[in-house]
Amino acid sequence: MRLLVLVLIFCAPIIGIETVSGDTASVKKEAKGSVSPKAEITFEKHIRPILRKHCFDCHGSQGEREGELDLRLRRFMVKGGESGPSIVPGQPKKSLLIEKISEGEMPPGNTKMENAEIELVKKWILSGAFTARAEPEKLDEGLGITPEDREYWAFHPITKPNIPTHPPKDRVRTPIDALLLPQMHSKGVVFSVDAEKLTYIRRATYDLTGLPPQPDEIIEFLIDTKPGAHERLVDRLLDSKHYGERWGRHWLDVAGYADSEGSNNLDSVRAYSFRYRDYVIRSFNQDKPFSQFIIEQLAGDELVKPPYKNLKPDQIEKLVATGFLRMAADGTGSGGEQDVKRNQVVTDTIKIVSTSLLGVSVGCAQCHDHRYDPILQTDYYRMRALFEPAYDWKNWRVPNQRRVSLYTDEDRALANKINQEANVIAKERTEKQNKYIQSELDKELKKYDKAIRGKLRKAYETPAGKRTAEQKEYFKKHPSLNITPGNLYQYNPKAAEELKKLSAQVAKIRARKKPEDFVRVLSEPGNKIPKTFLFHRGEHSQPKQEILPGGLTVTAAEGKQFTAPLNDPSIPSTGRRLAYAKWLTNGKHPLVARVIVNRVWLHHFGKGIVNSPGDFGNLGGKPTHPELLDWLASEFMENGWSMKHLHRIIMKSTVYRQASVQNSQFVKKDPGNTTYWHMPVVRLDAEVIRDSVLATSGVLNPKMYGSPVPVKEDGVGQVVIGVDKKGSANRPGANIPMNGKENRRSIYIQVRRSRPLAITRVFDAPVMKVNCDRRISSTAATQALTMMNSKFILQYASYFANRVVELSKKDTSSQIKNAWMLAYTRSVTDKELEKAKQFLNKQVEYLKSKEKKTDKKKGTKPAPELQAMTNLCQILLSSNEFLYVD
Amino acid sequence: MAEQIIPDNTDYLSRRGFLARNAMGIGGIALATLLNQEGLLGKPAGIGDENKRFDMLPKKPHHEPQAKAMISLFMNGGPSHMDLLDPKPELTKRNGTDFQGDITYSFIKAASKKLLGSPWKFKKQGNCGTEVSELLPKLSEVIDDVCVIRSAHTNINGHEPSIWSMNTGVPKPGRPALGSWITYGLGTENQNLPAYLVMTDPGGLPVDGVRNWSNGWMPPLFQGTVARPKEPRILNLNPPSHLKGELQAQNLQFLKELNEKHLEKHPGESDLEARIASYELAAGMQTAALEAFDISKETKATQDMYGLDKDPTREYGTRCLIARRLVERGVRFVQLFIAGQIWDNHSNIINALPSCCQKTDQPSAALLKDLKQRGLLDSTVVHWGGEIGRLPVTQNQGAPEKAGRDHNGQGFSMWLAGGGFKGGIAYGETDEFGHKAIVNKFSTNNYHATLLHLFGIDHKKLTFFYNSRQQTITDNNECKVVKEILAKG
Repeated sequence: MRLLVLVLIFCAPIIGIETVSGDTASVKKEAKGSVSPKAEITFEKHIRPILRKHCFDCHGSQGEREGELDLRLRRFMVKGGESGPSIVPGQPKKSLLIEKISEGEMPPGNTKMENAEIELVKKWILSGAFTARAEPEKLDEGLGITPEDREYWAFHPITKPNIPTHPPKDRVRTPIDALLLPQMHSKGVVFSVDAEKLTYIRRATYDLTGLPPQPDEIIEFLIDTKPGAHERLVDRLLDSKHYGERWGRHWLDVAGYADSEGSNNLDSVRAYSFRYRDYVIRSFNQDKPFSQFIIEQLAGDELVKPPYKNLKPDQIEKLVATGFLRMAADGTGSGGEQDVKRNQVVTDTIKIVSTSLLGVSVGCAQCHDHRYDPILQTDYYRMRALFEPAYDWKNWRVPNQRRVSLYTDEDRALANKINQEANVIAKERTEKQNKYIQSELDKELKKYDKAIRGKLRKAYETPAGKRTAEQKEYFKKHPSLNITPGNLYQYNPKAAEELKKLSAQVAKIRARKKPEDFVRVLSEPGNKIPKTFLFHRGEHSQPKQEILPGGLTVTAAEGKQFTAPLNDPSIPSTGRRLAYAKWLTNGKHPLVARVIVNRVWLHHFGKGIVNSPGDFGNLGGKPTHPELLDWLASEFMENGWSMKHLHRIIMKSTVYRQASVQNSQFVKKDPGNTTYWHMPVVRLDAEVIRDSVLATSGVLNPKMYGSPVPVKEDGVGQVVIGVDKKGSANRPGANIPMNGKENRRSIYIQVRRSRPLAITRVFDAPVMKVNCDRRISSTAATQALTMMNSKFILQYASYFANRVVELSKKDTSSQIKNAWMLAYTRSVTDKELEKAKQFLNKQVEYLKSKEKKTDKKKGTKPAPELQAMTNLCQILLSSNEFLYVD
Repeated sequence: MAEQIIPDNTDYLSRRGFLARNAMGIGGIALATLLNQEGLLGKPAGIGDENKRFDMLPKKPHHEPQAKAMISLFMNGGPSHMDLLDPKPELTKRNGTDFQGDITYSFIKAASKKLLGSPWKFKKQGNCGTEVSELLPKLSEVIDDVCVIRSAHTNINGHEPSIWSMNTGVPKPGRPALGSWITYGLGTENQNLPAYLVMTDPGGLPVDGVRNWSNGWMPPLFQGTVARPKEPRILNLNPPSHLKGELQAQNLQFLKELNEKHLEKHPGESDLEARIASYELAAGMQTAALEAFDISKETKATQDMYGLDKDPTREYGTRCLIARRLVERGVRFVQLFIAGQIWDNHSNIINALPSCCQKTDQPSAALLKDLKQRGLLDSTVVHWGGEIGRLPVTQNQGAPEKAGRDHNGQGFSMWLAGGGFKGGIAYGETDEFGHKAIVNKFSTNNYHATLLHLFGIDHKKLTFFYNSRQQTITDNNECKVVKEILAKG
């Protein structure tokens, strides 16, 4: 649709509107031949995209064509199918195609051609149905890639643009500013003034760490009055360990990070997923070259020599990295339709790889050549073939079989020794237990007539499942005969006590074992390399021709398409993913670097240069500043794929340093701020809201890494932090103390697909069905209710109040000033101070008047002054100034 | 018909209008600005439109709507259509003989080919003469207002995929529910109440749990809000006791002052304005929801009509009555679920089915009567039905009295009333045994297309951009608005 509009805008003035009348007018042109590169409308440029969208599924790309009609070439259209020619050049009224599409007979289904599309096809036929060049003699199966497809901006090689020069008054600090200015000038706007230092530190700290600046950081920045203070601040923030937590979170979104397998209601927990999360955080903090980061995630296993035993830290790191390819929901460990579930894991993994690194949706091509983008069905299966040796759906390994143990041989030997030691005592215990049971049985049997004792003993010794009806009857009749290890204590308490002690001893010995840890790894078992087949209409039950591994055809120059080795002889695995990863990061791939830098821009400015970060194709957005995108991508690659370099250059630019305040003149000229004449006001992300509330309240637990903090459903069914221990009758169990874990950053909270944490979910934290290539930001009354009444906010408001009261015990004015600085990173104004005091006085007065009336609960409630301060703190945490960044 | 219980004879629309106007008034300037925003209907979201914000404000439909609200009484498990709404004399005649066609069973072990005629009698009811089983005596009283669909089908026998089909348009998990689509398209008239309310059963969640009211890939704003069967009905709605009343009012007042000062520095930032409004709406919701859920104001006669005076019907009747109160106050979409899937009568159907009917028949029929006498039925769709039906053959459980029926997604019945559906008709047919829908087959996509049409929405134009394409509830499947079941064809 978008493309079509562009096409029409492009064509309309040239073609005019008078044409569709006389069918004979252009017959002469036809005689000259059908090739006319200069024709206003050509098949390749204008008509083929329409047919591709609506018709090629049945009349082109698939093997069997309906009505034997193939519409992929002009000459095929002239020739036509079973019903005769499709088009008669120069004569739309005699063209069967026009009849079918005008009457809505074709295409079948609900989506019909738009009138504008039909008109364009008519005009093309009328003008002589020209092609831009001679059509190929022979056409391979499928839609292929045309020169027009390759012209699409996203598939052009990345080239570093020349930087225009600007006079000093334009306040250009970096090439970024220089590249933004031409569009600004054309709209008659200029950069806004630089933001104040306090505004800048709040913005920069949130952007890089996802937390508000703390007082010492603020002071350090304010007293640094020498030139370069802003750059030094950015350096400090990039050195912060919280940087990796914030930017790691962005990456975990596109990777689809989860701590559970999803796929069905069981949603079993992925106990070791967190190692990948930690790997991502560490990689960002180390500023690992992003190219290396990509290679490790796609092929870390191929960089480590199997067998994966006695692993060194750097080897573990590489294996952990492949957790990226283990993020898709994987329910194959919990039964169900295996073939479907297995193929779904592969499909989802390809989606994660393509949206995160390539910025194109290849999913459509699973069933047919893509209708809008030059992505062929064979391309999809070329990609699939990269992963098939590791994800062989015919020789599947369920999640637990894909884990690699971190036990070394030494660990295992030691564990075996401990086990042996424990087994000695366990055996002793079992023997004793049997002895005790026997002796109790003897005692019981004595109660019966001698004659039947033998029968009863035999019945006892027969396993429950094999007892005859008669034997079963004995036990019903004489329940006390049924002595088991479980009820032995009722017969012989002393013996039971002794056995219990032995059990404890066994447990104590076993506890000496180092717990066995695992890594979730994608690797190739190496025994058999499966073939990859194209699936007819995406059905795994309908395999067609074999497909060899490779990349998307259109992402390399004609004839230069990337082909992965079938089986690289130099390494034990096939080397397919490794070769692919190296190709993606060789600096020539048109998409990878653009996609990455676009995301960085998005997270700094609230919108991307291409505003559909996971889809650079025809259905996605176009770059608002294509040269800037290319400059950033080149700069990124030239500087060793360094993320931190990219942050530094963006954050020292004038565009980033501007104030957010709007200028009424400029609003009229560029209301959507497409030229970046002011900094946008952006709401904090869900996790950042929670983390900021914790940090502002002074209770944030900065512990990094490790097993996730668990979540549970509380008494009313809200998902909160806590150990899920169900009480009787499936009721929520007792609260288990979290010992400060509840105050850890959101990135360390368990991501259970079926149990999204209420406080972050309400502010649009994604629930990972597959992955999330862009967050949405909604405004809803439920968010307001959460900030008004939830246990979460009440709890942390009270911590925040305690913090400001602690800071200055008696002086209300100071307390208010501190509260303002902590929540907003700015000083309270005199007027605000006055109002806040009035508010507190009014509340204290009210609370005191209430207190007299209801004395009973006195002592359990906080003092009126503290309650009033808590309320003030809650207000600050709920306010827009807290929830948004300038 | 119960006695006259309309409180003040006010015309419904003006009453609804009044309530809604009052609610909107609170937002003041902020809402006025919001209302100037372009409606969402049919617009792609998210792409190239970085400031796209989602809200629940009323949107202009594609065409003049007849339905303004909907109450869906979801009967999880698959009510046995040949015992309730789809009489099959041939099946009765051949009771005990072998079924001759192919049949797909879900429970192979107990599968049998023995036809099981309905043990219950059907009779023509109302002026229209639609045949209804003796198990549904109260529905029979209002049958002239009801459009019985006898050719529904999902073509899948399993519960979950069929629920997804009924509730999201596609037999796959993860898509937005019907209530999400309708509220995404139309917003809601009363901002003081959630637009899309789900009322769960005290016995527990239905099969497939919270996914039944999931917003799928739409923003969480369009997720169904659960009204719990006991207090607190809506999570985080009620202020904690120590803030309730004056203190919270003071808090909100001061918050508003701070937010407005902040807005002065950022004129034109509509997101900030919307958030200011959201606090006002939340505060309004606190009183409005309490009032809406309070059925003590209803007359004894009304309460009795819903069966609140009797044990088997009290609980479901209460929820049906609350549903009416919600719709009356401008809530767009209300869906009632039952615990688990009581209609999944694999065994002992002879006792189990009457017990299901006893719980739901009177309250559902009372809902129709009540809506009608308040003039609300014309603009409120009521849906009653499950996700599948049952097989005409017996599910062998050993003894004949233990017999039940296995799943059947090939053909089943449901009913629709009000909101522009034609009353007093039965649409579509299954084969002579009730196994497969054969005449005027009514797919779930047809259902949604028709339903949306009554809400003034063209199902092909209500789109949401996700996964690189414009998604619709009917997912571009071949389907149509079924004109034959519309009051105004």
